[in-house]
Amino acid sequence: MDPAGTPLGKMLLEEITPVVMVLRTPSVEEACVKNGLSFVEMLSPFCNFSNIDVPLRTSSDQPYRLHKFKLRLFYESDVRQPNIEVAKERLKQVITKAGEKENLELISDPPQVSNLLDSSKSELLPSWFEYLNKELIRTASFSEHETFDHPVGCLLVVSSKDEQPINRFIDHFNTNKLPSLLNDGAMDPKILKHYLLVHDNHDGSSEKASKILSEMKSTFGTNECHLLCINSSQDAKMEHQDDPWASYKYDGSPVQRLGCCLDVDDISALKDLMHEFSSKHVIPYMEQKVRILNQQVSATRRGFRNQIKNLWWRKGKDDPNEMPSGSMYTFSSIESQIRVLGDHAFMLHDYELALANYRLISTDYKLDKAWKRYAGVQEMMALAYFLLDQSRKEAEYCMENAFNTYLKLGSSGQQNATRCGLWWIEMLKTRDQYKEAASVYFRICSEELLHSAVMLEQASYCYLFSKPPMLYKYGFHLVLSGDRYRKTDQIKHAIRTYRSALSVYRETTWSYIRDHVHFHIGQWYALLGFHDVAVRHMLQVLACSHQSKATQELFLRDFLQIFQGAGKTFEVPGLQLPVIDISSLKVVFEDQRTYASSLAASVRESLWRSLEEDLIPSLPGARTNWLDVQTKLMPKRLRESNVCVAGEAIKVVVEFKNPLQVPIPISNVSLICELSRSEEEISDTNASTSELANDEDHQRVVSSDSGSVILSEFDFSLGGGEKKLVELTVTPKLEGTLKLVGVRWKFSGCVGFYTFESILLVKKIARGKRKAKAKQSPLNDLKFVVIKPVPKLEGHIRSFPEKAYAGHIQPLILELKNQSNCSIKNLKMKISHPRFLSIGNKEVPHVDFRACLEKQSDNKQGGTRANLKKASQGVFLFPEDVAIKGDKPLLWPLWLRAAVPENFLLYIIIYYEMEDASSVMKYRTLRLHYNLQVLPSLDVSFKISPCPSRLQEFLVRMDVVNKASSQSFQVSQLSTVGDNWGISRLQPIDGIIPSQSLTVGQAFSFFFMLKSRRLSSVDAATHVPDLSPDVDNDVILCPGSVKEPLVNATHSPLANFHDSERLQHGIHNQKDDNTVDFVLISRPLKSDTNSEEDSDQPQLFSHHACYCRTASTSPISWTMIGPRTKYHNFSSSFCEINLKMTIHNSSDAIASISISTADSAGQSDALPSQGGWKPVVKEIKAASPKAAGIIAGNSPESLSSLKPVASPVSSFIWSGSSSSNFQLGPRSSTDIPMQICVFSPGTYDLSSYVLNWNLRQDDGGCDQLEAKESNPEETRKLSGTCSGYPYFLTVLQSV
Amino acid sequence: MAITASFIIVSRNDIPIYEAEVGSATKREDAAQLHQFVLHAALDIVQDLAWTTSAMFLKNIDRFNDLVVSVYVTAGHILFIY
Repeated sequence: MDPAGTPLGKMLLEEITPVVMVLRTPSVEEACVKNGLSFVEMLSPFCNFSNIDVPLRTSSDQPYRLHKFKLRLFYESDVRQPNIEVAKERLKQVITKAGEKENLELISDPPQVSNLLDSSKSELLPSWFEYLNKELIRTASFSEHETFDHPVGCLLVVSSKDEQPINRFIDHFNTNKLPSLLNDGAMDPKILKHYLLVHDNHDGSSEKASKILSEMKSTFGTNECHLLCINSSQDAKMEHQDDPWASYKYDGSPVQRLGCCLDVDDISALKDLMHEFSSKHVIPYMEQKVRILNQQVSATRRGFRNQIKNLWWRKGKDDPNEMPSGSMYTFSSIESQIRVLGDHAFMLHDYELALANYRLISTDYKLDKAWKRYAGVQEMMALAYFLLDQSRKEAEYCMENAFNTYLKLGSSGQQNATRCGLWWIEMLKTRDQYKEAASVYFRICSEELLHSAVMLEQASYCYLFSKPPMLYKYGFHLVLSGDRYRKTDQIKHAIRTYRSALSVYRETTWSYIRDHVHFHIGQWYALLGFHDVAVRHMLQVLACSHQSKATQELFLRDFLQIFQGAGKTFEVPGLQLPVIDISSLKVVFEDQRTYASSLAASVRESLWRSLEEDLIPSLPGARTNWLDVQTKLMPKRLRESNVCVAGEAIKVVVEFKNPLQVPIPISNVSLICELSRSEEEISDTNASTSELANDEDHQRVVSSDSGSVILSEFDFSLGGGEKKLVELTVTPKLEGTLKLVGVRWKFSGCVGFYTFESILLVKKIARGKRKAKAKQSPLNDLKFVVIKPVPKLEGHIRSFPEKAYAGHIQPLILELKNQSNCSIKNLKMKISHPRFLSIGNKEVPHVDFRACLEKQSDNKQGGTRANLKKASQGVFLFPEDVAIKGDKPLLWPLWLRAAVPENFLLYIIIYYEMEDASSVMKYRTLRLHYNLQVLPSLDVSFKISPCPSRLQEFLVRMDVVNKASSQSFQVSQLSTVGDNWGISRLQPIDGIIPSQSLTVGQAFSFFFMLKSRRLSSVDAATHVPDLSPDVDNDVILCPGSVKEPLVNATHSPLANFHDSERLQHGIHNQKDDNTVDFVLISRPLKSDTNSEEDSDQPQLFSHHACYCRTASTSPISWTMIGPRTKYHNFSSSFCEINLKMTIHNSSDAIASISISTADSAGQSDALPSQGGWKPVVKEIKAASPKAAGIIAGNSPESLSSLKPVASPVSSFIWSGSSSSNFQLGPRSSTDIPMQICVFSPGTYDLSSYVLNWNLRQDDGGCDQLEAKESNPEETRKLSGTCSGYPYFLTVLQSV
Repeated sequence: MAITASFIIVSRNDIPIYEAEVGSATKREDAAQLHQFVLHAALDIVQDLAWTTSAMFLKNIDRFNDLVVSVYVTAGHILFIY
């Protein structure tokens, strides 16, 4: 690679070239101004030679030819260090001007990253960078420590118009006019001088000029004098094809054509002049100077001796001049001379010589601690290395050294550092070390913001160009740069940088970065008045939930400001305030299914379906079975899409969430809907085309359809971080196809809208609950076929309680309304939990609540129940004559009984059919759903044990625990259900419960006598004479409630609930004589807190206990009847006692029973000590062969334990002829006579018998068997053995 | 010297999955975004470096003024930067 061909090489060949100082008189300028140019400007284009082709010799006499050459011309006044402030100002102007050019591009979108990488460097890099860099480098020119800016020659120019031109030439060299460099000795004042006489042809012929020229030649020497004739074109209309001055005039629009007075001859004269001046004067002069200096330097500094001497001498110089200003090195000092030598050699492209000298001097400067000069030399060394294309490392090392040294100097080295840095960067760029170049740019940045802004921007481009491209760095540095531009009010530049950064950060998930970029760019656009773009950017940052509250407020405030500045409403598709949670989207619509409340609508569809099964003839929507033939109830179109009814609202529940901590007001929230009338449009192709692509279309949708649909609008405010579920409704008024498109809302004048489709298309997951047909695409869920109005039943239960204590019975009223004029028929109702809710009787209004419950004298049992037309599965059919129409509601009584303590969900479905057969919908259902929290109240349990002494009498223990949290109860009544059982108190009424009520947590036990009434009815006259007449179904438990009428447990509500309870508990509804159902009626104490609700209304609680078993498991029960005490004179004979056993068969089958009173003989044999009795036994056996035998004592164990005292043990034997086997009919009793013989006084336990029973199944037994099989827990045996009850008989010796 | 440190876990595709600002120093208003910017920019360096070295912990790979970036690169190419 040719170093000279690189950008840096070119730059160096232009910048590090000999300087010629121009001294001219004002009249010279006057002549030139006619061309719109200054004298220097006029000459400049001709000072640049691409191939001057001057033969030269190096110091070592090597010939070479100089090709590229350039002279830099400066007026004497410009040969000085530029004022920094002025330079800065100029730079600022350049930047500002460049910024203004950007105007048009700003609004366009930033390019994509991929495009960015593809496009070439020159496209991306703003063109003014190069110019600006040049300007920056020039700010460091004409410094004292570098000699390449020191004038090599001097061009003295005098016009032919001037008087006494010769004197004017001499005046030029008046010292007061000359630059300080020459005067203060920093450079050699003896420089090449060239004398030029300018003649303006407008002023007449050149005769006078040639006269002056000859005069000049005689004075200054022939070679040094020239005549230049300009302005030969009289009419000033010269046009130049390739304007040579164009590139030299940067600023100012050329009002005047440049060089208009110069004709072709003039231009060639200019060319010749400069060529001659360069090749004949400047270059030979420099060559000569290089030669002389080289010799001097060689003499004093080259060679081993000189070096040692120099080192020694330098070391001795202990007090180096701290002043880096350079006054210690005058032009005559050897150091300066070496530097001049180096620079001259450099300018003459003899880089090796230059490098050698630079190297030589750099150590000197370093030792002298002349840092600025040292840095300058290092810089030049690096450049020389670069141009020689030698050791890159060296070049870089020198550059870095120079740069760092300049930086160390502080502000005085700043310009130089910048220049050095720029060169360094160029060097790195040439070698494709963009990353390093970027870091150098970064280091150039000074405190001055504008400067560093430009540098950072350039750095960012370096990152972009580096391989591989470092996009993140690119973005970051652009942002840094933009930030600085903003601080210096270069907003356009700032926007430009941020815009470019956006292409990197567009899709970033780094939230703070995104917010920062969008927020600032939005702000700046607003400053410039591009409100549209500003709003667009601000929208991006609005939903910044991660930011602090203060930042959020700031964002919001700025957004609103910009928004107001824009002065119009926007339709913003992606407004993030508030955020809509699409997963919360729920569409509730009513086809044939209608809902009484939103609560009901939220219940799972499958639950309703299962309830509806019995209710609905054939449900077209419910494909319970694939074999189901689709009925022709609805046309296909309707079946496949969601159906809604015109005039009925579709509810859409959407969750709005405020992502900010700042409250935001939202207004005019409504749905965007589309109602198309024509049927053809409904085809699916339409749905696929996105109609929201452009805003106009969107507007149409909203505005045009406003007549045919009614949209609800909401205003609300969302607090910080708040979520709100908003229920929006749309009511189509006409038939057609309705499509829910999205939601729109207003956020302080900014209309945001949100389309469901866009999201749904992405998330095809099942979302809402109310998806009627899962196999359809989600899009179709938002499409509805609107059919013409059909009647709709509305209903609710009046004042449904939220809480109730378990057992509480309350009357309720179901209110049904039909707003339309069409009538409906075939009302049916189904209740999910008949245990909790029972349907009352229309004829018995609830006003007479008490009467309904009280026991009346004319107790028509079951009469009310007959009125309820109970269909199968608990479906209730309303009477045919029930018509609901217009305003008159239908009221229907219901009974609520909180059965068990739990949180209980009640579902009610009311089915009805349309009277109008032509309507599309044949039937509809109304779904009601209620929630009831049931609190625990009394806990009742029963324990029944048979009375040992009485047949079919039982002792009932009722344990009542009050488990309520705060309520006391008064237990008022216990009833048995059915006719089979009667119950009576065991205690006097006052003594049952002392406190009359059960307070919280209190437990209490009651005891009752339970009697089987059937037994008494069958043979009451003969066998159970002691059955008291007060045995009744009901027992009053509380003395206070005696005044209150008894509650009829067999009447409508209670009986219904009881049936449900039985269904709940028991498995079969069959009557079982061995079970008894109890109903406990209790009342809350009036003094308690809840009495304020309805104190006049008696509150009633009922607790049901079903299938309480009478304790025995066998169907056979018996009792022994006989004397308990007997006096007998044993001295005369043994005692014979007659007993009677009454056996009852409570089963429905015939029982064969055998009683065996004897024990096995073997047991007797095993006890030989008892042998004394054996003969007697045998004797008795002989006497009564059917008698079983004898046993002594209670049991063999006790007998053996009594063995030592065996003799006094009193004993008895069963005697008498007892029929041991007999049949007993179902539900019948019989008496068996029995007899024992006692031989000595004592107390005897007559339990030593065994009853074997066997149920025959021939008649009516089979169903019992079935029942048994179906209820395995009910272990009713078909046969069994029972041992006898203890029956104690005391026989005393009569005196 | 109390300076806040920022700790970010970055998943593949340079998506930040965890962010934390640690430290007790008084927080500058723009600290969070500056940190993000610096760390985000450092990813460029990491991407280069991660493939050239077998080390998982890359110390001081990038710096911006007085902010120093160190990275722990996991095998799954998840980065922990601070």
